[in-house]
Amino acid sequence: MSDAELVRACRAGDPDAWNEVVERYSRYVYAIAVRGFRLSDEDAEDVFQDVFTRIYTRLDSLRDDSALRPWIAQLTRRRCLDAVSARREVPADEVLVDEGSSDLSDVEEAFEVREALATLPDACQEILDRFFTRDQSYKTIADELKIPSGTIASRIARCLSRLRDELDGRNEAPDGSRE
Amino acid sequence: MTVAFAARLVAMVARCSPGWDEAPGVAAQAYAIGERAVELAHTDGRVWEDALIALRDAEAGATEDPRRDFALEQKLEAAAAAPLEIASLGADAAALAAHAAEHGDGTYRADAAAAAALAAGGATAAAHLVRVNLGIRTADPRLARARASEEAAHDVAARLLESHR
Repeated sequence: MSDAELVRACRAGDPDAWNEVVERYSRYVYAIAVRGFRLSDEDAEDVFQDVFTRIYTRLDSLRDDSALRPWIAQLTRRRCLDAVSARREVPADEVLVDEGSSDLSDVEEAFEVREALATLPDACQEILDRFFTRDQSYKTIADELKIPSGTIASRIARCLSRLRDELDGRNEAPDGSRE
Repeated sequence: MTVAFAARLVAMVARCSPGWDEAPGVAAQAYAIGERAVELAHTDGRVWEDALIALRDAEAGATEDPRRDFALEQKLEAAAAAPLEIASLGADAAALAAHAAEHGDGTYRADAAAAAALAAGGATAAAHLVRVNLGIRTADPRLARARASEEAAHDVAARLLESHR
């Protein structure tokens, strides 16, 4: 289900769609708070609760249904700035945080890769996950998937190529309007 | 570190093979193998240092102490884990080098063969450390795994080097 379809389902009151929003974006929100803004676990938990409450209560204000992710990112960044500001006891608009930091872009990039990965065939998702996430050797992958060991590197390379095409396609697409 | 260097050499071969459609994917795998190897080399150093301290404590102890001996055994077992993974990475780096030698730009195929030779050397050194750290347990399946990785890397390297004579 695309983000736009998910938003429409949420607006129609589908509880499963709300669960899917939380499932799809919980790690994203948490990663921005912890990796991007270096919040403590406690503050990140507060941000997490607050962001998802706002998503729930303000979803109708989202103008472009396909721009759910940038909207959530914006809500999360604002709430993180509030948290940093409260800790430093300065107004949120005076808090100096490098929002172009590599940590924040890493979070964005990781999420984009995860989304693109989800569009690949299961066999590609499986082999890329085994090699890059679970650090499995070619031999282990070959033994467990029952495919010839000598073809693993080539299969991974082809799947990476498909992943890159998918990411390139996304980057060429026009940006959704943001709230 | 030798395995990491071998992997980086494979990445270089892939980067220098613009006509090969799998080259970016092969380079990405080579980088991943290289990074893992570096990380494991650091882990190996730390764990081995712990084992060495435990070994000295055991040697300094005048009396038998089963708990101390058990702790030492645990540390030596842990010290075998990182080289076991490094040996496996050596086999992977060699396999990737073979793939690059076969499909990469002809100018750099000798470099791919050199990468396989380095990977095989790294796998041998790592397998040797597994043997030393596991001591007399010759039936331990980890020894067989380390040996299999070492042999796989050597087979590839021998084949590639022979084809470039």
